[in-house]
Amino acid sequence: ETLKLSHQWSEGDVRHQVAQMVADEVKAADVDLEIQIFPNQTLFKAREQYTPLSRGQLDMTIFPLSYAGGQQPAYNLTLMPGLVKNHDHAARLSAAPFMEKIEEVMAGDDVKTLVHGYLAGGFGSNKGCITKPEDVQGVTIRAAGKSFEEMLAGAGASISSMASSEIYSALQTGVLDATNTSSESFLSYRLYEQLKCYTPAGDTALWFMYQPLLINKTTFDELTPEQQQALTDASAKAEAWYLEQAKAGDEVTTKAFADAGVEIAEMTPEDFDAWRELAKETAYPAFAASLDGGQELLDMALSVE
Amino acid sequence: MSNAPAASATAGADYRPPVALRALGAVSTLFGVIAALMILASVLITCHMIFVRGVLGQSTIWQTEAVIYLMIGATLLGLPYVQKLRGHVGVDLLPHMLPRSLRRPLAVLVMVATIVMVAAMVWYGWEMFHQAWRRGWKSESVWAFPLWITYLSVPLGFGLYLLQLLADLWLAVFGPDTTLPEPHPERSPD
Amino acid sequence: MDPLTLGLLVALATVIVLFSGVSVAVGLLIVATLFLWIFDGSRSLEALPELFYAELNSFALLSIPMFIIMGAAIASTRAGPDLYEALERWLTKVPGGLVVSNLGACALFAAMSGSSPATCAAIGKMGIPEMRRRGYPAEVASGSIAAGGTLGILIPPSVTMIVYGIATETSIGRLFLAGVIPGILLTLLFIAWAIFDTWRRGAASAALVSARYTWRQRFEILPRVLPFLAIIAGVLYALYGGVATPSETAAVGALLCIVAAVLIYRMYSRRDLWVVLRDSTRESVMILFIIGAAGVFSFMLSSLFVTQSVAQWIAALEVNRWVLMAVINVFLLVAGFFLPPVAVILMSAPILLPIITAAGFDPYWFAVIVTINMEIGLITPPVGLNLYVINGIAPDISLRQVLVGSMPFVGCMILAIILMCLFPGLATWLPDAVMGAAL
Ligand code: NA
Ligand code: NA
Repeated sequence: ETLKLSHQWSEGDVRHQVAQMVADEVKAADVDLEIQIFPNQTLFKAREQYTPLSRGQLDMTIFPLSYAGGQQPAYNLTLMPGLVKNHDHAARLSAAPFMEKIEEVMAGDDVKTLVHGYLAGGFGSNKGCITKPEDVQGVTIRAAGKSFEEMLAGAGASISSMASSEIYSALQTGVLDATNTSSESFLSYRLYEQLKCYTPAGDTALWFMYQPLLINKTTFDELTPEQQQALTDASAKAEAWYLEQAKAGDEVTTKAFADAGVEIAEMTPEDFDAWRELAKETAYPAFAASLDGGQELLDMALSVE
Repeated sequence: MSNAPAASATAGADYRPPVALRALGAVSTLFGVIAALMILASVLITCHMIFVRGVLGQSTIWQTEAVIYLMIGATLLGLPYVQKLRGHVGVDLLPHMLPRSLRRPLAVLVMVATIVMVAAMVWYGWEMFHQAWRRGWKSESVWAFPLWITYLSVPLGFGLYLLQLLADLWLAVFGPDTTLPEPHPERSPD
Repeated sequence: MDPLTLGLLVALATVIVLFSGVSVAVGLLIVATLFLWIFDGSRSLEALPELFYAELNSFALLSIPMFIIMGAAIASTRAGPDLYEALERWLTKVPGGLVVSNLGACALFAAMSGSSPATCAAIGKMGIPEMRRRGYPAEVASGSIAAGGTLGILIPPSVTMIVYGIATETSIGRLFLAGVIPGILLTLLFIAWAIFDTWRRGAASAALVSARYTWRQRFEILPRVLPFLAIIAGVLYALYGGVATPSETAAVGALLCIVAAVLIYRMYSRRDLWVVLRDSTRESVMILFIIGAAGVFSFMLSSLFVTQSVAQWIAALEVNRWVLMAVINVFLLVAGFFLPPVAVILMSAPILLPIITAAGFDPYWFAVIVTINMEIGLITPPVGLNLYVINGIAPDISLRQVLVGSMPFVGCMILAIILMCLFPGLATWLPDAVMGAAL
C-alpha cells in the first residue's frame, strides 16, 4: 500500500527530512507500506493541503497548522505570540492537555497527528533592531501569522501583507522595513543579504509555529495493526530528531547572518514579558473572541510551565 | 482564419436565434461587464494599497487578499462572456481535416464533452462553496474574509458558462448551417 | 501501470483531445479529469474545483491582466502611430527605414505591454497599411509586424515570464531583467535582417516611395513620444525605486496608461474605454482560465507520478547537457506550434526545471530560451496568436504571405537562441548586476 505525503518545502529542508525519515523507517519495517513524498508543493499548494487531507484525498502532510486557522479558529493558538518561550517549552506544550484539545478538534476533521514539532523564528529589520515593542513603532513590517499581525499593529507598526516570495525584493527596494518569519525562511530566502539587524530565536523567542506531521485518521485506522505500529514507531523516532534539528536550525541561521555581517540582537526575558503584555491586550482577546471556549483554551496553553 | 471579435458575429445575417438564447447572451454580457469592472477595481485597490503603505505609512491588511478574490471572480464570471465572444483559444486541426459532413457531428461531440466537464465543475464547485458556507470558513488573515463569497464564484461562473454552452449547443444542432458555432476562431492554415 | 507508460498515454490523449477543436483550457480539464478518475479513483474528482481555485489564488497573477490593460489602453490611442512616425522620420535614410522603424516601434511598445498580440496590434494597425502604401511587399509588411510583435513577451514586462515565475517559483523581477538584453539583441537581429533584405532586393526597393523629412519635422514630433517614455519611466521607478513589488507595479502601469489615454490622448468616450476594458478582459480571462486548468492538469501529472518519473528518466539518460538542451528546444518549438505560450510553460516547466537545474543551466537564462521558443510559436500555425491579429488588421494578406514574410525572422530567433547558448551572460549579467547573484 502507498500513502501520499505532501509538503511545501524543498528536499534540503528539515521538514522534508522528517518525512523522509518516517518513510524510510516504515519501509525498513517491511509491513507492505510505502510513503510517497511530494515536496515543493508538487501536489497541493502550501495553504491548500488541509481540506484534501481531511477528506482523505491526501494521506499525509507536514503542515503549519495555523494555515487552517480560517477553518478551525482553535488552530490559531499554534502560532500565538508569547505562548512558547523556547524549544523545550514547546515540547512540553506538545505533551500537555492543551494539545489534546487541539487534537480533538483535528479528529473532528478526520485528522490525526503523528509527529509533533515546533519551529522558531525571529525578527529582521533595516530600521534598528527589533527586540521590544517600542522598536516596531512606525516600521513597515510583513509578519507571518494573524496573531502576530494583531500584536505588531498594537505596537504601532504598519502591517503589510504580501507573499513570502516577495519579501526579498520588498526589503531590497525599501517597500518593507522589517519582517518576521521562521529561521528556516530567513535562511532559504537569503534575507541576510538585505537586512541590517537580526533578532534570532535564542534562549527566549517570540515566534513559534506548530508544524506537525499529520495523517488522515480514517486512512490510519484502516491500516493493519502492524502497519500502524510501524508508523507510530517511526514517528516517535522522527519526533525526537525533529526537536534536535529545530534547535540546531536556529543556530545555523544565526551563524549565517553573523557571517554575512548582519548585526545580531538578543531578546531578553524582560522584552519577552513586554511583548506578552502587549499580546494580552491585542492578539489574546481577539483569539478568545474568535471561538466558543477560546479563553479557556488559551488559559490551558498559558498554564503550561 | 478569422480574428476573435469578428467571430462573434458568425450567425447568419438574417437569422435571429430564439428569444431565450438572446436573453442568455445578454446575461453573459452582463457578467462580462462585471468581470471587467472587477479587473478595473483591482487596479484601483492595488494603487490604493501602494499609496496607503508608501505615502501614509499605514497598515495594508485587506488589499492583497481583496485583489486575489477579485481576480478569481473576474476569471470565473468572465467565462460565459468570453465563450460568447469565442475568445477561448483552441486548435481546430481535426475538424479541418475532416470532410464537411462530419464537422457538425464533431463540433456537437466537442460541445457535449465541454458541457459535461463544465457541469462537473459546477457540481463539485457547489460542494466546495456549500461546505465553506455551512461551516463558516474564513480566510486565515486578520481580515478574516468569509470564504463562501469567493468560493461562490466557482459554481456561479461555471454555471453561467454552462448556460452559454447550452445555448451554443442548441445553435449547433438546430441552427442553420451559417450559425454552426465555430468552436474557436483559430483555424488551421488556408 | 508504469508512470512512464502512463505519461505516454497522457501525452497521446492530450494531443487528440486538444486537436479536436475543444478550447485548450477545457481540453486540459477533460484529460486531467479522465486520468484522475481512472487511476486515482472518483474521490479525487471532488478536489477539481479546489485545485482550479488554488492555482488562481495568487497575487502575482494580477499582473497578467494589468500588463494586458497597459498595452490595450495605449494601443487604442495615437501613441503607437506617434511612436512609429517619430522613428520613421529619423530613419528614412536607412535602407528599409520603414520596416526598421516598425520593428523599433514594436520593441519600444513591448517595453510597455506584457502581451505579444497587443504589441502586434498596436504597431500593426498603422504600420502594415503604411508599409504597403509605400510599396513594400505584403510579405515584408505583415511578416515584420508579426515577428516584431513577438518581442512583447521577451522585452519586459512579459505575461509569459510572469507565468514562468509562478510555475517555477523564480523571481519575476529577475526574470524581467533577464529578458532585457536578449530583447535588445533580438531587435537588432531583426533590424539587421530588414536592412540586409532591402539591400538584397536592390533594384526593387529603389522603386519604393521614400518620404523626406526636414530636421524641423524630425524634432517637432519628439514631444509626442514623451508620454510614452514617461509611462515607462514611471513603471521602472515604481519597480526599482522602493514604491511597489513587481506584482504591484503592473497595477501602477495600468493606471498610468488609462490616465494617459484619457488625459493626454483625450479618450473620453465611454465606448472607447469599454473597448479597452473588454479586449483586456477577454485576453485575461482566456489566459487565466488556461492557468487554472493547467493547475489541475499538472496536479494529475504529479499525482500519478508522471512528472517525477519523466524527470528521473531524462536525468538517467546522461546525455551531454547541450544535446539535452537541443532536445528540449525541439520539444518547446513543436509544443509552441500547437499551443499558446502560457499553456506550454505551465505544462512543461514543472517537468523541465528540475532537469535543467540538475544539468547546471541557470533557470533565468532558461526562461529566456523558453520565451524565444514561445515567440516562434506565436507566428507559426496552427495556433499562432499574432497570425490572427495580422489577419484582423489586414484580412486580404494570406496566411501564406505572412508566413513567408516572418520566416527570416524565425531564423533570427533561432540565431538568438544559439547566441544565448554560446553567451549565457546575455541573460544572466543584468539581473546579477542589478539584484546580486541569484538565490
Ligand atoms: Na513586454
Ligand atoms: Na504556433
